[in-house]
Amino acid sequence: MSIEIKNIKRNFGSFSALNGVSLNIPTGELVALLGPSGCGKTTLLRIIAGLETPDSGSIHFQGEDATDIAVRERGVGFVFQHYALFRHMTIFENVAFGLRVRPKHTRPNETEIKRRVHELLNLVQLNWLADRYPPQLSGGQRQRIALARALAVEPKVLLLDEPFGALDAKVRKDLRRWLRRLHDELHITSVFVTHDQEEALEVADRIVVMNQGVVEQIGSPQEVYDNPASPFVYQFLGNVNLFHSRVHAGFAKIGDIELELDEHQQIQDSPALAYVRPHDIEILRYPDGTSIQAKISYIHAVGPIVHLELKRLDTNAHVEVELTRERFDSLKLNEGETVFLRPHNLRVFLQN
Amino acid sequence: MKNKHNKNTLPGFNLSLGYAVLYLSLIVLIPLSATFFKAFTLSWADFWQAVASPRVVASYKLTFGASLIGALINVVFGLLTAWVLTRYHFFGKKFVDAFVDFPFALPTAVAGIALSAIYSTNGWIGSWLEPFGIHVAYTPLGVVVALTFIGLPFVVRTVQPVLEDLGAEVEEAAASLGANRWQVFYKIILPAIWPALITGFALAFARAVGEYGSVIFIAGNMPMVSEITPLIIITKLEQYDYAGATAVAAVMLVISFILLFAINGFQWWSNRRFGNAR
Amino acid sequence: MAFSGGQIDALVMLDKKEDLMSVTISQYTKYTDKVASNRAISEAAWVRYTLIGLTLLFLSLFLFIPLAAVFTEALRKGAQTYFAAIVEPDALSAIKLTLIVAGIAVPMNLVFGVAAAWAIAKFEFRGKSFLTTLIDLPFAVSPVVAGLIYVLMFGLQGWFGGWLSDHDFKIVFAIPGIVLATTFVTFPFVARELIPLMQAQGKEEEEAALVLGASGWQMFWRVTLPNIKWGLLYGVILCNARAMGEFGAVSVVSGHIRGLTNTLPLHVEILYNEYNYAAAFAVASLLALLALLTLALKSYVEWQAAKNAADIEKEIKE
Repeated sequence: MSIEIKNIKRNFGSFSALNGVSLNIPTGELVALLGPSGCGKTTLLRIIAGLETPDSGSIHFQGEDATDIAVRERGVGFVFQHYALFRHMTIFENVAFGLRVRPKHTRPNETEIKRRVHELLNLVQLNWLADRYPPQLSGGQRQRIALARALAVEPKVLLLDEPFGALDAKVRKDLRRWLRRLHDELHITSVFVTHDQEEALEVADRIVVMNQGVVEQIGSPQEVYDNPASPFVYQFLGNVNLFHSRVHAGFAKIGDIELELDEHQQIQDSPALAYVRPHDIEILRYPDGTSIQAKISYIHAVGPIVHLELKRLDTNAHVEVELTRERFDSLKLNEGETVFLRPHNLRVFLQN
Repeated sequence: MKNKHNKNTLPGFNLSLGYAVLYLSLIVLIPLSATFFKAFTLSWADFWQAVASPRVVASYKLTFGASLIGALINVVFGLLTAWVLTRYHFFGKKFVDAFVDFPFALPTAVAGIALSAIYSTNGWIGSWLEPFGIHVAYTPLGVVVALTFIGLPFVVRTVQPVLEDLGAEVEEAAASLGANRWQVFYKIILPAIWPALITGFALAFARAVGEYGSVIFIAGNMPMVSEITPLIIITKLEQYDYAGATAVAAVMLVISFILLFAINGFQWWSNRRFGNAR
Repeated sequence: MAFSGGQIDALVMLDKKEDLMSVTISQYTKYTDKVASNRAISEAAWVRYTLIGLTLLFLSLFLFIPLAAVFTEALRKGAQTYFAAIVEPDALSAIKLTLIVAGIAVPMNLVFGVAAAWAIAKFEFRGKSFLTTLIDLPFAVSPVVAGLIYVLMFGLQGWFGGWLSDHDFKIVFAIPGIVLATTFVTFPFVARELIPLMQAQGKEEEEAALVLGASGWQMFWRVTLPNIKWGLLYGVILCNARAMGEFGAVSVVSGHIRGLTNTLPLHVEILYNEYNYAAAFAVASLLALLALLTLALKSYVEWQAAKNAADIEKEIKE
């Protein structure tokens, strides 16, 4: 089922959590809402679920207006951040809950409930825990039970709030791969909230980057990583170096480098910020006219990628560079040496 | 009280709040306000006559004086009890801990007759005190004993959780810095628990001021000597002096409200300030 | 902007934060016996034993001896007198009335407590803390005044007194007045127990039930009620103890009509004032037993609730 979100606004007191958010989620996609805490992503997810009501704007499921449909009739599956398992019920009863509370005429009989619950428990590979209670399970197990419980009502949309947030690093990695595979099997339109860029980049078909109640960028993981639409996205996804610069008549000047910018022809002497990823900076032994002189202050050479910290000689600004082990070895760099930096893929944003 | 900024999807807000406010109004607020309306029907002179006659003033002195002494006794022994229950191990500790709430559970009339039986001149304790010329039952001292009894759990139960949550680490730190046990107590522990002590004291005092059942059996109820204010209200009622009873009740109510709001305000303040007082 | 970033999720997830807070508190080194055995921060043995001794002496004087006195006095004239005092018709009718009164007042305050706690713990609204203070009000009012207010409302000279006597309906000096006064003095017990409990539990489980298609009542009966049952029981036990034992408030509205409007505590008073000590203490011993039963139940419920809380903490920590 596709989801359309049209110009949603939501305030808490004088704080604007969502300030005109619009979004289309096609059927069967796995979408990540990514942003720092306070960006409104959880509020948006809860609005899609019907757990919050927007001040204005509308939500459409498969083209039909669902804004005023009560949460219990929306037919969404929701996995809560802390799972919200009913602690006084067994795992079996937790998963069966959504079936048992149906009105009599649509409620499956006991054998059917049993069959369905065990099927779901098998799907999440935890059938052997059916008679336990939630406190007796590990975090990862609870997470999977929460998912099975949400799937029991055969939702058209699956919503997950920070699904891996409360788990430790190892379990988190396993679970997110598992979720990806599960999604590929079930193809339920799914939206999950996360503040972890790595998680979003690895799991999602598409990423919605949010900040301060607005959508900054929507795109595939590749797009948002390689072509960030705004300084915020640049800084939020991956490491980035920031150079102060000036833009004048279609040219940006960063140190000795002059960069031609077609889109800023009309700009007269304006301050700007140039962004470049650490792995997009080349290190040269000798100057080539379009490079910046810098001194290596620290080398961290463990693993396949070598991290260098440098200090620009002209501005004393701090620069980070990532090299492959191969390149690093061929350059034979040492701490304290002076080298020349040549950035590729510089993106310039005007400061106003 | 409208659910304005809170578009909560949980059901039942209007129903539950509406019912709660209606019930609160019917059982508590409207009947309480009746006291003040009735009191306002009195002329100032009559009102003053009712609340400031010598016999009534003597009852205030006894009620507040005995409540104060009782609450202070409870501060000392309540702190001691809370300390012993959280810090030391002894046989029957769990039982003693549960039993601290006994004054909450025991009907006040039973407490009253039991206390007057043991503190009367031929009672278990009274007969021991008799040779020293100490009379407890049927004197103001008896009032203090009864009010100490009913206020006993308050200080223990407010201080106990704070003592439990007080990390051992800070005491160890103080000890490692060279503080002796007594210095640790009055420089580290006492500052942490004093909001709870004051709260417990105020709760015990407020409860004692209004107490009736446990006191009247042991007090002797002699006008000007051992007659508490709640008894004055009853006496006036029995003489069909409704206006007089209401006037005294209004005075007591105002004092109760002040105590309640002072306690709530103090707890709010100390929660913000210390974050640990209950 | 009034709030800085980060506060919005703080708003949404307030309930979770509180759960986490309770975990942090419990993670402090609690002052257990283990810690107390640490020599650096404990007292010399003689100090410990003196303090324990003083405490036990104080508690004996004020708690254990009075309790023992009740049973000793009750049985002073033998078991036969004791049982005679209890099965005597006036005593039986007092027992009956006490049960009736508690049987009405406790459920009324139970329903109120759940409703008030639901609104206060799960929703934000203006005047919430004021309402919470008002709920505590009856604890601050002298029981005598609590009785008096109903006399002023429904007594012969009260607001509705004329109307009531015209319609030949008695509230004061009759059972309805006793029920009302008892309801007043036991008013806050259940609500006070439930409000902090439900606040700490948050709303996630209820929301989960709704998302899974439960109706409001299904959510309440299947999720909310099972989660608060120990707190509820705790409040009811305390509420019941006070309802059955209330003396001052009931004394004002009852009229002391033997066999009709006498509750157990009032019956004790009458017997005592008639110098019928053995009978007075015999009836009092029933109330003392009730108090002991209350303490036992209370300890059991506390133990159960602590066990539950430990489970929840475990659940969040992992």
